[in-house]
Amino acid sequence: MKYSNAWHLRDIILLTLIAIFFGVIYWIVGPVYNILTVALTPVGLGPAANDILMGIWVMAGPLAGYLFKKIGSATLGEFLGAVVEMFLGGQWGASTMISGVVQGVASELGFAFTGYKRYDWFSLNLSVLTTTIVTFGWDMIRNGYAQYHIGLLIALFIIRLVSTWIFAGVLAKAIVNLLDRTHLMQSRTR
Amino acid sequence: MNPSLKFLLAVLIALEISFTNTWMVNVGLALIGLIIILSSRPNLKRLALLFFVPLIPAFALAFAILLQSNAGIHFALVLFTRIYAYVFVGSAATLTTSVSDLVMSLEQNAHIPSKFAYGFLGAFNLLPKIVSEVNIIRAAGNMRGQALHIWSPQLYFKAILASLDWSENLAEAMTSHGFSEGAPRTYFKQIRIRWWDWLIMLGSLGLLQVALFGLHLQ
Repeated sequence: MKYSNAWHLRDIILLTLIAIFFGVIYWIVGPVYNILTVALTPVGLGPAANDILMGIWVMAGPLAGYLFKKIGSATLGEFLGAVVEMFLGGQWGASTMISGVVQGVASELGFAFTGYKRYDWFSLNLSVLTTTIVTFGWDMIRNGYAQYHIGLLIALFIIRLVSTWIFAGVLAKAIVNLLDRTHLMQSRTR
Repeated sequence: MNPSLKFLLAVLIALEISFTNTWMVNVGLALIGLIIILSSRPNLKRLALLFFVPLIPAFALAFAILLQSNAGIHFALVLFTRIYAYVFVGSAATLTTSVSDLVMSLEQNAHIPSKFAYGFLGAFNLLPKIVSEVNIIRAAGNMRGQALHIWSPQLYFKAILASLDWSENLAEAMTSHGFSEGAPRTYFKQIRIRWWDWLIMLGSLGLLQVALFGLHLQ
């Protein structure tokens, strides 16, 4: 199947709105990250909170890629979400923009590997996998994960993979299924 | 300073300190960021948040290094100060720039297509409406005895439906106000890159290299 790659004004607005919505939902639904981090820090497992919740942060990317079926939609969706988060006053400051690009490109890779031809359960899962691997690589540098003992490192990777799969895979698919039943997206992205 | 260059500089600094391990440079950057933040006269609550909120991830990362690795106290200190450098440098950029100035600069200086610039701007301006819409969706769910959690697909589904509706309306509104994709535009507010913008950016990056190398050689 062939998908149009042209971006029109309403696609751009829609993508930005969805990115902001995801940022705001995370913002409103609660300071889960802080509570979890505070609880885990005394045993030295604070960073695990980051991996447990990773799926929520990176969800917009695979979902946008899957919804819009255009080159660059995953990257753009994720990056815009990050910019919004930074302007809202996120905890990571200027590095949020870099994380946004890293996460966006990471989820884009999954769709790029299929040549932007497949948009199904397989390509979504591929996107989940690339997202996990690339963002984990970035955390090895930025957050010093590379220094941890190998056992913890493997545990963190598995936690992140499961979290990303649940949110960016299973939940994203459930959202798309609901949308498919409305037939609203098909009439827009021919 | 020119908004596009300001954000580029903030990102480049953040990128560079992600790969370097000199805590004194991180502290220096955080201090410079703090001075710029203070010069923008933020309110006290915002300032307090800026100090306390990064404490959580900063402590988490530092403790994890101390307890779960052999990297030692120096690396823990690097990670701790790195978070503050990220946040203060980032806030120095966001607190001194309005979203509309940034978008206009990106359009005029970085030559982003105008449909992207104005599309983003239109959507960003709906931010307060989006916040209230999320509350409405959750309240509507509660009224029907259906609690919507962060893992509920319905929450996102309804948010996307609202986005579909609004994006259609906003795009039509912009078109009916004379906006056309790809048409040449003139600018009411001209944003230029001056020579001192380049000087500040290249000078800051140069100083950062000197600081990083100087402290590394010591």
